Amino acid sequence: MLRKASVLILFGVLMCWRVPVNAGEPKTADDVIAKHIEAIGGRKTIDGVKSMRMSGKSLAGGGMEIPITIEYKKPNKVRMEFTFQGMTGIRAYDGKTGWFVMPFAGKTDPEKMSADQVEMIEDNADPFGPLVDYKKKGHQVELVGKDEIEGSEVYKLKVTTKSGNTEYYFLDTEYFLPIQTKGKRTFQGTEIEYTVSYGDYKEVGGLLLAHSIQQGGMGGDMTFEKVEVNVDIPDDHFTMPKVEKQEAETTDKEKPATIDKQEPPTKDEG
Amino acid sequence: MRLAAILISISGAVAAIGSGDQAAAEVKIDSFTFGGLEARSIGPAVMGGRISAMDVIIRDRLTIYVGAASGGVWKSVNGGTTFKAVFDEYNQSIGAITIDRSNPDVVWVGTGEPWTRNSVSIGDGIYKTTDDGENWEHMGLKDSERMSKILIDPTDGDTVYVCVTGHLWNANEQRGVFKTTDGGKNWEKILYIDEDTGCGDLAMDPQDPRILYASTWQFRRWPYFFKSGGPGSGLYKTTDGGKNWRKITKGLPKGELGRIAIAVAPSRPSVVYATIEAEKTGLYRSDDLGETWQWVGTTGNVEGRPFYFSLLLVDPTDFNRVYKPGTMTSVSTDGGETFSGLGGGTHPDHHAFWINPDNPDHLLVGTDGGLYISNNRGVHWNFLQALPISQFYQVSYDMEDPYNVYGGLQDNGTWMGPSRTPSGILNKHWDNIGSGDGFHAYVDPQDPDIVYVEYQGGRIQRRCKSTGESKDIKPLPGEGDPEYRFNWNTPIHISPSRNDTIYIGGQFMFRSRDRGESWEKISPDLTTNDPEKQRQIESGGLTPDNSTAENHCTIYAICESSSDGNVIWAGTDDGNLQVTRNGGKTWRNVVDNVPDLPPCTWVTQIEASHHAKGTVYVTFDGHRTGDMKPHVYKTTNYGDTWQSLVTEQIEGYCLSIREDLVNPDLLFLGTEFGLYISVDGGAQWARFKEKLPKVGVRAMAIHPREHDLILATHGRGIYIIDDITPLRHLTREVVESKVALLTSRPAQMRIPASVQEFPGNDEFVGGNPSSGAQVAYYLKKRHIFGDLKLEIYDAEGKLLSTLPGGKRRGINRVNWHMRGKPPKVPPAASLVPQRFSFLGPQVPEGTYGVKLIKGKQTYEGKFDVVMDRRADYSPEGMALQDKTVMKLYGMLERLTYVVDTLLDVQAQARDRIAKLDENEPLTTSLKDFVDELETFRKTLVATRKGGFLAGEVQLREKIGSLYGAVNGYEGSPTDSQVKYTGVLEKRLDQAEDRLESLLSSQLDELNAQLRQKELEPITRMSREEWEAKQAGS
Repeated sequence: MLRKASVLILFGVLMCWRVPVNAGEPKTADDVIAKHIEAIGGRKTIDGVKSMRMSGKSLAGGGMEIPITIEYKKPNKVRMEFTFQGMTGIRAYDGKTGWFVMPFAGKTDPEKMSADQVEMIEDNADPFGPLVDYKKKGHQVELVGKDEIEGSEVYKLKVTTKSGNTEYYFLDTEYFLPIQTKGKRTFQGTEIEYTVSYGDYKEVGGLLLAHSIQQGGMGGDMTFEKVEVNVDIPDDHFTMPKVEKQEAETTDKEKPATIDKQEPPTKDEG
Repeated sequence: MRLAAILISISGAVAAIGSGDQAAAEVKIDSFTFGGLEARSIGPAVMGGRISAMDVIIRDRLTIYVGAASGGVWKSVNGGTTFKAVFDEYNQSIGAITIDRSNPDVVWVGTGEPWTRNSVSIGDGIYKTTDDGENWEHMGLKDSERMSKILIDPTDGDTVYVCVTGHLWNANEQRGVFKTTDGGKNWEKILYIDEDTGCGDLAMDPQDPRILYASTWQFRRWPYFFKSGGPGSGLYKTTDGGKNWRKITKGLPKGELGRIAIAVAPSRPSVVYATIEAEKTGLYRSDDLGETWQWVGTTGNVEGRPFYFSLLLVDPTDFNRVYKPGTMTSVSTDGGETFSGLGGGTHPDHHAFWINPDNPDHLLVGTDGGLYISNNRGVHWNFLQALPISQFYQVSYDMEDPYNVYGGLQDNGTWMGPSRTPSGILNKHWDNIGSGDGFHAYVDPQDPDIVYVEYQGGRIQRRCKSTGESKDIKPLPGEGDPEYRFNWNTPIHISPSRNDTIYIGGQFMFRSRDRGESWEKISPDLTTNDPEKQRQIESGGLTPDNSTAENHCTIYAICESSSDGNVIWAGTDDGNLQVTRNGGKTWRNVVDNVPDLPPCTWVTQIEASHHAKGTVYVTFDGHRTGDMKPHVYKTTNYGDTWQSLVTEQIEGYCLSIREDLVNPDLLFLGTEFGLYISVDGGAQWARFKEKLPKVGVRAMAIHPREHDLILATHGRGIYIIDDITPLRHLTREVVESKVALLTSRPAQMRIPASVQEFPGNDEFVGGNPSSGAQVAYYLKKRHIFGDLKLEIYDAEGKLLSTLPGGKRRGINRVNWHMRGKPPKVPPAASLVPQRFSFLGPQVPEGTYGVKLIKGKQTYEGKFDVVMDRRADYSPEGMALQDKTVMKLYGMLERLTYVVDTLLDVQAQARDRIAKLDENEPLTTSLKDFVDELETFRKTLVATRKGGFLAGEVQLREKIGSLYGAVNGYEGSPTDSQVKYTGVLEKRLDQAEDRLESLLSSQLDELNAQLRQKELEPITRMSREEWEAKQAGS
């Protein structure tokens, strides 16, 4: 469940922009979002972004640093890769089909995502998050009011996504940048709650982007070292590869030399 | 190394201080100043805690809202398998919960428990959620203090009736029956007797919501007495939604009445039952809509303790089946004439009860010991073990490693449990070491197998933990002595100066230096000895109730000075504050020197300073006379003069106080509404909120070795704030700086124990402390723009790790795992199935450097890393482990280089094949070359599909598993492991040679042919190129 939550967070990447102007107290969600759009680079820059690649590392338990790459292509394609012990896992969505490859336990074939996983990746296949063009995207946004997050004053926006999930966005009242999102969604009948913090905003090619995404504590922290905008990514990069039927390797004649005892899963202290 | 690595306190206080903000005049210290410092709940949930209210609705699954007596509101959406606290930011004393049947997203919570025992908390009005418990809004009735029932008009969700019991310890006007018709915006008091009488119970006719039955109840509690009953008590009925009420008397007992519970039979609303506390308490029944009544029967559970049990239910389908929860639950199947008990197995004292309207076999009961569910009409019960709502009175610790905590609870005895375990802290890790109501418990400083425990009224026992044998050691009066009086919650105190000395307080101070075999009376009666306050034998009102809960004129708090064993303080429940400076020869009552303190205010805790001999902190608590204000004082001259430390930031009457063991300006204050911290000696306070609800903090202890603050909450079990060292350094200077690195305790590389268990989800699991080194720092303002990261360096200045930093205002803590980078492992068919193969080698003990990089600024500090103090490895063994694990680490990297080279060459060859005609001889040569490499690769890494269960083990898996095995144990590797390392290294040498020969024998020839075809030759990457690539990835 935790892993699913962190994957969710992995896709909740938000981007943001320059230090904003302050002209009057926003009264509606639209006021706040207008300032937010201005803050992350302005309408023109945002619209000019057709694709994006973010590379960095995720910090997992035990001090493991896992290289990750997230690629977006408008309008709604996304692919995330992470590498561990020389093997690469993939989660991707091409606007229609959500799929994944998890080779770590010996299964190298791509698999289709379940409906709720698709819903999750679909909601997060958008590099600018649900606030920008929310009406066009079919979301609803309501300005709940001012609030305080970890001692910082924020605007609290309630987002009801097209898929019916609720997510709260907390935008710093000075800079109109999200510093935290909170939400929950039902996954396989179980409610998963998540809190994601955004920080280390840096300018990349005219956009102000969060380079640090943290799930509070261990396991879900991602830091991006490199962000490329408008990189050339072919559409089929996001498409699920055809699964080859019964590869020859399954009938491999070579027998392994020895069989070591397999370790049962264990729990770590702390 | 290792054992010698006793915690050495870190050098220097604040490692680095950022540029102070000169402009800021006064930096506010608030809850967020403590930042990401969190309290860790360790339960226990093995014994539950008192449940005072409950409501349930059947949706796809059972949704259960549980109200704890002093532990908030919990919600389960899966029939009780898991629960979530949904009310942590609000008052934790719950009196009533009602779900709106017409719109189940609307739930009303009435705060203030109505089961008015001595230890009951207080509420602050009524709340409502309209989104199924996500958000709550206060809806008024702020001065009600407690309420016992909320009824919603089934035809109109905005019309709500509330049975407000009102103040317990004083008179107030906001009590009786209240009604709103606009969803809680406005309230009308529709039934009111007087300021001493509240609403006892309220019931609605299920067919006609205008018909309501209400009982009024006159009651009052004093610190030393309780009275239920009076002329205000009675039974009332309205048929017009509360506009007009009639007092019902026909068939009811004459004389003064006490508490009355009412139940209308859902299947035949003309049948109404009531239990009526009177001279002769019993069950009454009306068959004419409550107009006339007759006595039908009684049983122990009907008569017993009406102030504590006033709940009555009728089966939804059978109007003759009546449930009377009490000490246990009795059930009548003949309309109340006879009763029998439900099945055992539950904790006694039943306060909340639910019968499934669709399936009357399905029951839930909330007790003094938690929540139970029955599927066979109460014959057998399952305990729901996911609710950490235990009500602790006291807490202490021992010096084992990990240390254990000890404490006693309301009606749940005394328990001990570990502060950490490999699996998280489960219910099974808690051991019961005392029964009854538990309070103080202390391990004998001379013998860790001995623990002093007690139950109500000063019944102290000396218990041997290993055998379970207990010996009663309560002081008994000698010839000519008066009867000894002991408080419900009798103070026991372990001398900090002599490890053979314990104290217990009655009206006299008793001291033992032989483990309780004998007691020396070292004081005169230190109380007011007011006979008016010693009438507990008469306590209870209509129903006598003398459980020792009203014992008064007793010592309640004891504290011996840590620097002078002759200085002993005693505080009494009747407001005396006594001190001796000569070991008890003479005592002086100094309470009159305390300014602005109402007379006879209960002393809840005395904390002698660990730093200055004449300095003492005292909390007083006047809530039992209706004084809800905080009272906390400090003296620096043995009580001659006192200074109030109360500020407007403190909410709630004061229960406990601790001065830090290291920094005298760091104070911890427990009130009925949570934990407050001051970093400036009490000039400013702020509530500590992170993961800690507004629950009563009855007692606190600071573990002197781990520097943890341990909290005994009355309603949410034990919390631990791990390592308060950063708080010790949170000086005004630090708080005013923009950025400051803060010192933490030396980081221990704990032995990584593991267990295999699959306990399901139905149990509360307490968290463990972080297993890494915690680097703490303070930010004056949230970090938003640019980098904020930490770099960790070894003693030689080599960069070991870069970690993302927390960005929040206040204290941030970043975890470093004290391990190097994991080894490079070649790609294969699955992960190496050994946990420690995923991890880098553990770093050596020593001092490490940290750089906090915030934008362009860098702040530098140091911290110490030490071995687990339990580790007992020889230096030679550790050196061999280090050597072996590094050898295997290097071997894995060498193998990865071989495999990566091979894959790279294969890829290039395949690329050239694709560019060549299929019939070219070179194509065939290249294909053969690729195949030959592939055959070789299959001896290096597992390639068969099927993951771990394919069971394939090649060189990668062998080296990886061995690396993991050696990496998981910090002492000497086995002889087998060392030798096998050598065996595998030879095979690796051979593999390197084989790759070399494969490439050198064929590459030149193939490349010559490729050049002829004007194709790029196949290159091989050097080790340097490979390493550069690894570093870049």
